Amino acid sequence: MAKLRHLAIACKDPDAMAEFYMKAFDFTLVRSNDGPLAYGHHLSDGTLDLAILRFKSDQIGKGMDYTGLHHFGVLVEDVDATAEKVAAQGGRHYMDQLEPGRTGGFEVKMYGPEGVLFDIAEHPWTGSEALPEKVEEAAE
Amino acid sequence: MPKLRHIAIAAEDPDAMAEFYKKAFDFVEVGRPNGVLADGVFLSDGTLNMAILKFKTDQLGKGMDFRGIHHFGVLVEDVDAFSHKLESLGARHYIDQGHGGQQAGYFEKKFYGPEGVLFDIAEHGWAGAEKLPEPVKEAAE
Repeated sequence: MAKLRHLAIACKDPDAMAEFYMKAFDFTLVRSNDGPLAYGHHLSDGTLDLAILRFKSDQIGKGMDYTGLHHFGVLVEDVDATAEKVAAQGGRHYMDQLEPGRTGGFEVKMYGPEGVLFDIAEHPWTGSEALPEKVEEAAE
Repeated sequence: MPKLRHIAIAAEDPDAMAEFYKKAFDFVEVGRPNGVLADGVFLSDGTLNMAILKFKTDQLGKGMDFRGIHHFGVLVEDVDAFSHKLESLGARHYIDQGHGGQQAGYFEKKFYGPEGVLFDIAEHGWAGAEKLPEPVKEAAE
């Protein structure tokens, strides 16, 4: 089964917000970056990647001043097959990873019902858990 | 370590949205909450509870028309201890839910963190969500 492995928050001050969640819940800082889409920090609870980001474009149509929960990410077995399945259900493709071959983040972004944005990826987000089947395979 | 175990989406049509995620990702329906705060559908991926809800109040201050990801929830060992910790870090308490009552399995406390981001904490967990790993529970006992 596909797994929820990523949650992204849009904020003004990623440094302060990341500090809050590290202190509050002992989440671990696994990556900081300043890319074409956003600046911010990735925290991990050992299972999910919690991305705390200042976005550089309005991906969800709520304006550049929007702060709050932004999108989630689902780890899947096969990103192409899942993208087709999502599109067949009425999901709308938004964009692909800008750097082909880059892993540890989103691979494809899509809009689901009511414009909710989500990512799909077949390689785990940095600091997040692999699919259970992959963990079992690696242990064998 | 506390664990992210709940994501809530504000929807106009929770039934249609839940059908989409069931078909798209094989998420399983684990409940149909109908409370004073929201109605909707609970899905599970086996680890997290994904709540697709039509809210009855404006918890975020973004208006009743807000659609999108609404809040998240963190499973903790001890809600009271974490409440004190959160308040000491500047989080603002919003609302409580009774412990062990008929609504157990929902949030237990809601807080606003930095920039008004809403999140829940709970020690009993959400429907369909995985419990805390055993060593963490034992260490807390």
